[in-house]
Parts: sequence; structure tokens; C-alpha cells
Amino acid sequence: MSRWFVGLAGASALAGPMSVMAKPIAFADGYTVMAEYGAGTMKEAQLFYAPRYDLSVGGGHVELDSDETAKSRRINYARLNYLVRRWNLDDAQANLFAWGGLGSATGNTFSGTLLAENAGAQADYETRRVYASFKMDLQRSSAFSHRIDTLQLGLAPYKHEYGGVATWFLVQARQYTGAIHRGTESAVLLRLFKGGTWIEAGVTNGGKLQAMAMFNF
Amino acid sequence: MKFVPRVLISVLFVANMPVQAATIEMNVNGLVCAFCAQGIEKQLRKFPATADVIVSLEQKLVAVALKGGQDIPDTELRRALTNAGYTVKAIQRTETPLAELRERLKQGKP
Repeated sequence: MSRWFVGLAGASALAGPMSVMAKPIAFADGYTVMAEYGAGTMKEAQLFYAPRYDLSVGGGHVELDSDETAKSRRINYARLNYLVRRWNLDDAQANLFAWGGLGSATGNTFSGTLLAENAGAQADYETRRVYASFKMDLQRSSAFSHRIDTLQLGLAPYKHEYGGVATWFLVQARQYTGAIHRGTESAVLLRLFKGGTWIEAGVTNGGKLQAMAMFNF
Repeated sequence: MKFVPRVLISVLFVANMPVQAATIEMNVNGLVCAFCAQGIEKQLRKFPATADVIVSLEQKLVAVALKGGQDIPDTELRRALTNAGYTVKAIQRTETPLAELRERLKQGKP
């Protein structure tokens, strides 16, 4: 695990709790720091600034380590996130995000540093008791292509209020392409958040830790 | 007897003065999470006339306490909420102090 990742994850954890499938744009004129530990196969850290409610720019670092082979990737990227559409309903909100970026990749199945391209999308729907999201994130270069698809479904045992602690129980299903993990990895998660900080942690069907931290300010 | 007309004029003058709102209450769609509230609060606190802000997810309500004698035009409020990513359904001005509104919301009353 790179020092960069540890530093950002540590800062995020110190700043407060950990997270859910994070929105890539929290709010206008706001910063988002996020770190995720994905069962040993995926680790990611991100920092974004949103000049507008529908746009954020920043960068990240992702590490992919196959649990099938010895394959590993280290990718640094700059990224632009865009809120394609938001639906503000009476008791719910739905969003469609898209993003793209460029970066550099190293790995142990090719030599040197390659140009890496990143693209993805996320759709989510949320009330104060129900949460659903689906995210696709692709990292590719001339030597590899890895897509991570993540589905999350959540239920809150009570309706939280601003200033109070929100509690969510979630199930997550995740698939990797490019021989990072075989089959669908599922996880059960507990998510807590208060104000601009949140924490999410749980265990996968393989008995591994799945965790995420995010801080918005 | 000159006193009586003066009093009458004063009373009529005061009665015709516009009432200064203490609080602006806004009904907002899409308020489902703390991040929504955080973004809205950040936008509204940028107005020099804002003394305080409260957000109720339960009542889908955003309230701004105004500094004495000041106001924020509806167009500016709508722009701020739109820029925060939310939809304003209605705006009303009241004389209810924010502390009283906060207490009412704590008791679950609209």
C-alpha cells in the first residue's frame, strides 16, 4: 500500500467517520476527501473540489491487487465529475453522475509507466429510509482494462435529522473485470454519518474487510 | 388638544410601516441527507443578511434568521438553493424567531 494512500486514508479517518458509496460531488464550493479499502483487492483514495453543485475536479490513486493471480496495478489520475441530472422529489432525491480522467499506471505485468484512462458513471436513489446506487468505474491502458461495478442497497432503521447520526444497513455486490476477482463479491455493511463525515465498514462473503471513509467540508 | 392628532398620525404611520420579517422559511424538495443540508447551509450563510440557518429534513424546511432590518430577495434565495442543487417550492416570511421555530421542529411540529 502506497504511503500516499495511507496518508489520505489516515487524514480521512481522523477527520471523522467512514462511508458509503460516495457521491463524487457533495455540494458547491465544497471539498471531498475519500478513502476506500475494498477487501484487499482494491484500495482507492480521492480528493475533489466542487466549484459548482454539478461539477467537481480533483484526482485519485487506485491500487488493484488480484486475488486470483499476482497481477497488480497502481494508477494515479486526474478526474472531472459531472452531475448529469438530479431529480429533487418531495421525499427523495435521485442522481446520475458521469466522470472521466487521465492518469499514469504502473504494474507488474508490463514495464514502465503507461497512460491510463478513467471513465465511469453512477446512478443513485435515496429517501431518508431507502438507498440504492449502482456505479461503474473503468480504468484502462494499452496493457489492461479493469472495470469495477458496484451495487449497493440500504435501509435506515430510523429517519435521521440534520445534526444527528444517520445509521444505514447495506448490502453490496461488486464485480471486477480483468482477472482481479472471480465472480461476484458481496458484503454487508454498516454506515454511519453525521454532518459532513461518514464511515462505512463491513465484511465480504470471503471474510475480508470492506471499508470506506469520507469527509466533506 | 394638539396632542391627539399627533398621536393619531403616529399610530397611522406605524400601522402602515412594512413588517420586518425575522425569519424566512423555505420549503425545499430533495432534502434527504445531511450533505444536502450542509451544502444549503453553506450557501445561505454567505448572505450578509443571514444571522443563522436551520434545516429540517423531516419538515423539508430551510429557515434563515435575518439580521435586524435586513432581508434577502426571493430571487437571490431561489438562486442560492438552485446553485446548491435543490428545488425551492415556496418561500414565506414570518415574525417567528428562529429559536422558537427550532423548538417547534424539535417537538416534531411543522
